[in-house]
Amino acid sequence: MLAVSGLRKSFGGRTVLDGFDLRVEAGEFVALLGPNGSGKSTALRCAAGLETPDGGSVEVRGSAAMVFQKIHLVGRRTALDNVCSGALGRLPLHRSLFYPQDVREEAVRCLDRVGLADRALERCARLSGGQQQRVAIARALCQRANVILADEPVSALDPQAAVQVMELLVDLAAEGMAVVAVLHQPELAQRYAHRIVEMRTAVAV
Amino acid sequence: MTITVPRRRWPSATAWVVTAVVVVVHVLAWQATEFSPAALVAGWEGMADFLSESLPPDLSVLGKSLEAAVITLYIGLLGTTFSIPFALVLALLASRATTSAVWGRQAARAVLSFLRSVPDVVFALIFVTAVGLGPFAGVLALVFHNTGVMGKLWAEAMDESDRGPREALRVAGASGPQIALHAVLPTVLPSLAGLLLYRLDVNVRSSLVLGLVGAGGIGFLINQSIKLFRFDEMVTHILVVLVLVVVVDQASAFVRKRLGA
Ligand SMILES: Nc1ncnc2c1ncn2[C@@H]1O[C@H](COP(=O)(O)OP(=O)(O)OP(=O)(O)O)[C@@H](O)[C@H]1O
Ligand SMILES: [Mg+2]
Repeated sequence: MLAVSGLRKSFGGRTVLDGFDLRVEAGEFVALLGPNGSGKSTALRCAAGLETPDGGSVEVRGSAAMVFQKIHLVGRRTALDNVCSGALGRLPLHRSLFYPQDVREEAVRCLDRVGLADRALERCARLSGGQQQRVAIARALCQRANVILADEPVSALDPQAAVQVMELLVDLAAEGMAVVAVLHQPELAQRYAHRIVEMRTAVAV
Repeated sequence: MTITVPRRRWPSATAWVVTAVVVVVHVLAWQATEFSPAALVAGWEGMADFLSESLPPDLSVLGKSLEAAVITLYIGLLGTTFSIPFALVLALLASRATTSAVWGRQAARAVLSFLRSVPDVVFALIFVTAVGLGPFAGVLALVFHNTGVMGKLWAEAMDESDRGPREALRVAGASGPQIALHAVLPTVLPSLAGLLLYRLDVNVRSSLVLGLVGAGGIGFLINQSIKLFRFDEMVTHILVVLVLVVVVDQASAFVRKRLGA
């Protein structure tokens, strides 16, 4: 589903990634571990197309969505609107001024999948951190992503919310998605991930 | 353990040079503006005459004055409202958050700078020659100048918006305009509205000055009463202006506070 190979990236002469490889199959949940500054975020951002790698290749079958530690929803808009925005990539501009009914229906199903259908019309800023992160995952579902790139999806959450989000990600993998999650808690990685990839500074394993 | 106390530092050579330059520039400015307290003292009689003629205010023109004040308000209102679409388009083109093409941003910024650097009074003089004396020229002048100022303020507000939601939508495959519509604008809307009200306040005050150069409203009446040496009428107009400015200022501040912007 996701195949990253020989990824190289440096910022201003500092090499951050030097030949990073990662393959994630459909149905697989891979945890990415490593110390601060080892290039985990950079690797995911390259895979998502937010950074242009200096070398190497990124292959995604279908589409990839990204989930962030800081969640990055539009707090002033409703959960439903935020989830709908995942569908923008397949909507022509003239249909994206107001989300069409079919997109709204799909978005409600995605919210239902993450257990938040009843909060659809609430502004995101009013939801808890864990709920917001699940809305962000619903946005990825509404994007019909096959690959989820999650950069520290639970680092800002309390343990209970973290478990909820982790279980959701595992379930999505079980349903056929390819999931990569950067984690800082090895226990979580061991408990949930099918495979753990460790990153070291400028050397990927 | 000994603690070394840093020695008191004397102003550096640069500080002396800067001080000297500032002083010289002020002397030059004093001469060029013919700044002269003596002339002010010598002319006090003129001022006293002026004051005695202007008091008490002639309240018989109050009705006319209020009508003209409403026109002034309307000029400021339309000048602000009709600049919204232009300011919005130019701000979207000028902001880093919404336009990635450097040349596009620079072109939009150049247009905004131009509109901003031409004072509204100059625009008013130009439009008076085109559409004649009257409030319409004032509205046009404000639309042009305010587009420049508000467009820049709006672009800055967009620049400061959080890049996170933009990136999330970019990964989802959204196009630039879609990102502007669904990530940037919803985030910055309260700031844009606050800036709009602030500009409305400023524009109502500007439209007074535009009246002085022939663009209608109460500024025009003030100009007329000065020309006719009817200072008592002028004072009435000025009192009405005072009320208008305070009311608009307070209303704008009240709504901005409610917006939290
Ligand atoms: N846009 C950028 N410009 C310059 N340097 C960058 C940029 N992005 C990342 N870096 C640098 O690249 C290195 C790796 O950063 P990255 O964020 O990928 O690490 P990380 O493994 O995600 O760390 P953390 O655990 O703290 O999130 C860091 O030294 C960082 O300063
Ligand atoms: Mg990181």
